[in-house]
Amino acid sequence: MIALWRRQRRELELEEELTGHIRMAIEERVARGEPREDAERAARREFGNLGVVKEVTREMWGGGWLERLSQDVRYGVRTLRRSPAFTIVALSTLALGIGATTAMFTVVHAVLLRPLPYPRSDRLMRLAYDYPKSPFITEGGISDRQWVEHRSRYRTFARVAAMTPGLVTLTNAGDPVRLQEASVAAGLFETLGIMPALGRTFGLDDEQIGSEPVVILGDALWRERFGADSTVVGRAITIDGVRHTVLGVMPQGFAYPLDARIWRPLRLQLAPNRFQILSVIGRLRDGATRAQAVAELDALAAADRARDSLISRVTPLKDTVVGDVSQSLLVFAGAVGLVLLIACANVANLLLMRATTRRREMAVRAALGAGRRRLVRQLVTESALLWVGAGVAGAGVAMVGVRALLALAPPGRIPRHGEIGVDAAALAFALAVSLGTGLIFGLIPAIRATRSSVRDALAATARTMTGRDGRLRGALVVAEIALALVLLTGAALMVESFVRLRGVELGFRPSGLALLTVDLPDATYPSAPAMQAAHQAVLDRLGRIRGVAAATAVNFVPLGGAMIRGDIKVEGRTIPPGYLVAKPAVSPGYFRTMGIDLRLGREFTAQDAASAPRVAIVSQSVARQIWPDVNPIGQRISNKDVPGPGDWLTVIGVVEDVGQTSIDTHREPAIYQPIQQLTQTFFLGHMSFVVRAAGDPALLLPAMRRALRDADPNQPIGSIGTMESAISATVAEPLFQARLIGAFSVVALVLAAIGIYGVVAYSVAERTHEIGIRVALGAGRADVIGMVLRRLLVLLVPGMAFGVIGALATTRVLSSLLFEIRPNDPATFITVAVLLAAVAIIAGMVPARRASRVDPLVALREG
Amino acid sequence: MAKQERGLSRIELLQGTLDLIVLQTLRWGPRHGYGIAQMIRASSRDVLQVDTGSLYPALHRLEKSGAIAAEWETSENRQRVRVYRLTAAGRKQLDAERSRWEQLSEAMAGILAPPAREAGT
Repeated sequence: MIALWRRQRRELELEEELTGHIRMAIEERVARGEPREDAERAARREFGNLGVVKEVTREMWGGGWLERLSQDVRYGVRTLRRSPAFTIVALSTLALGIGATTAMFTVVHAVLLRPLPYPRSDRLMRLAYDYPKSPFITEGGISDRQWVEHRSRYRTFARVAAMTPGLVTLTNAGDPVRLQEASVAAGLFETLGIMPALGRTFGLDDEQIGSEPVVILGDALWRERFGADSTVVGRAITIDGVRHTVLGVMPQGFAYPLDARIWRPLRLQLAPNRFQILSVIGRLRDGATRAQAVAELDALAAADRARDSLISRVTPLKDTVVGDVSQSLLVFAGAVGLVLLIACANVANLLLMRATTRRREMAVRAALGAGRRRLVRQLVTESALLWVGAGVAGAGVAMVGVRALLALAPPGRIPRHGEIGVDAAALAFALAVSLGTGLIFGLIPAIRATRSSVRDALAATARTMTGRDGRLRGALVVAEIALALVLLTGAALMVESFVRLRGVELGFRPSGLALLTVDLPDATYPSAPAMQAAHQAVLDRLGRIRGVAAATAVNFVPLGGAMIRGDIKVEGRTIPPGYLVAKPAVSPGYFRTMGIDLRLGREFTAQDAASAPRVAIVSQSVARQIWPDVNPIGQRISNKDVPGPGDWLTVIGVVEDVGQTSIDTHREPAIYQPIQQLTQTFFLGHMSFVVRAAGDPALLLPAMRRALRDADPNQPIGSIGTMESAISATVAEPLFQARLIGAFSVVALVLAAIGIYGVVAYSVAERTHEIGIRVALGAGRADVIGMVLRRLLVLLVPGMAFGVIGALATTRVLSSLLFEIRPNDPATFITVAVLLAAVAIIAGMVPARRASRVDPLVALREG
Repeated sequence: MAKQERGLSRIELLQGTLDLIVLQTLRWGPRHGYGIAQMIRASSRDVLQVDTGSLYPALHRLEKSGAIAAEWETSENRQRVRVYRLTAAGRKQLDAERSRWEQLSEAMAGILAPPAREAGT
């Protein structure tokens, strides 16, 4: 501080001293009889440039590093301001690169790197048994029975707790709303180490069947629905039609599992032949290791292990929370890193070009006594200024970028969403990246620029570039081309994969369909007939909407995100073990409405009622698999392992296969039953109503909402929209990935094109003289263009070669993100290479054409 | 900086020469920058015209090295001027540079003066 203040005073004194000099010169001239105006002009001319004198004098002060630095910075700012075009291009290129990198770092840091927001969260583990051979248990966990047997016997864990997620309906607190909930065992919050902000947590008593229903609210829900009222504890609220007492409110930012907004006690009812898989977490005891915990899980399940060949897993909680998103995040981070490198290479190239034209300035400064170290320091300061300026701008870009990223990302797919923000770590990252790249990419041109001797520089005009500079700049462009090719190839693979994904034949016609999904609570509709009546009430109202051609219902709509799957028994046949089919239930007119082709037999009608003979419709692949030799119509199947006389369903029709669960798994076998003939509310509560619109289905949505409200004003809408948008949502993630990488690669391509253009244009400019001679000697336009393009090919060919090698080596990381395309797909590689070559040639053609129009007379005269 | 003014040919000063000239000029008493410039010009009969862009860096460099000291004085017309004076160290430096210069100029004279023998032929 003092140094700066002293310096400022010195600065003022220098100003005073020098203006005093001029004043005295003027006075002397006036005294000699010159008119004042003339005297002033002459004195000023004699004095020379005041700014320059000040500057060279200031340099004598030397002083501390801080003073020298601020001197360099001021000089740097001035030179940068003197060439605004260069500065703007370089700054914006770098700001974009650094901003995008910082935005990606912010997300990666928040999601992958930062510990979970629980005390000593590295000790938190998820406990699970995997059943690799079971067709039914796809995601490992701990069964309810295991939990009850083992929960008090874990020795390697200080605390354990179980939970299972679900959906509930909250009524009488604003509009009815569906909420993600978690049923949690007593001690879950204690295991995580987070206590409620208000009230208390669940005790073991709360788990008893028949005890008073209680809930704990999440902070966001408490604010939205209860006005952050602290007297809410002890109050009764209605969940799934049942009164629950609020026990507590969790603190802001707490969410476990991540999407849970409300918690209820876990209430287990162990029933024979049924089991529930729970998610169990534990806090490792001090000194205990993961390996010990795995051994303990093995020992506890010794009996089950022998029978079901299960595998014990103890996974850090963070890994399970972050899950499979880490791979695509790392891919994005890699891609954005490539963009940054290309941006830096481009700016380094600009600096090199600029350095060549500034040689005279450097030489003059060297002649005035500035040492080489001094000049290098000055140039590095200048580029550091550029990079730090870009870093500051980049932090701004990152803030916008992170928000855009989160807004564009498919909802619910980025875990720890709420923890993401441009924080100190992100800003430090931006600064480190800009300083690091600035030093590396700024130092090389600086050393180059000051290497040539004073004599050379002053003698030669700045027209010719030394071979070494040319090679360095060529190498930078080769690297840019290679990096851009890698990125473009990755992007092309993602785009092609997405196109194939969208091209999948679904087996039904989504256009013109609108979809309304509800979850009917058992409390309001306690029996199957009550639910079936509710469905009918909604269907009747939907059918009366103007513009609705047909209305139908299905419990698990294709691509709706949920599906019941199971095995079947066939009368008189044995089924290969592990043969599973989807089991949707539908109402009459379903296949016609959805546009699913009927191959054989008939559709369900209103006559297939609860009291009528039980019937089923099978999809084509079921028919082919089970009855390759006979007509499936009239055959009998059952859902029961040991069917009684009333459990058989008669096949009345065969329909086309449909992609049931997701667009990227192939169309799968299914058996359909009429909704009217189901008897368990479990299969009836979740219901999607599908209408086929005569016109635009989006226009029907308000009327559909009204129809539901009419039928049951307390029933919240689970989801509503057109079928097309629902399908788009299921491919939102690959679309997002393809778009993001596509955007990065477009930026990379543009930057590489600018780099190519710059180098070729520069080589044309420096060879104008030579070109002039050639033209004078009779070379035609085509010869000149060919000559310039050869210079381009020297860069393009190695660039593309390195790019293809790089792409072959790196696109493998995309394998898990790609659909029906291999990461080394030759067609994609060729297309991308051709595209890049075309862009490069276009970028090179601009200066080449200019070269071909060189007027030999002008070129030679200038030489 | 290499400007020529009013057709006067200006001799480029060897590095270090300017220091000697400045120190020598200050030997006759404290003086401000303008005064030093005028004095150099007058005593070299207008041959040496010191550029302000060389003079002020030289003054500040000498000041920093301790050969001269500067202070602000108020002139007769109440303007503040920065006046430089020779320090003891400066006096020593002046003597040293002076003898070096004398050696150099003798040597130069020897080189430039045609040898007697050749002149005789």
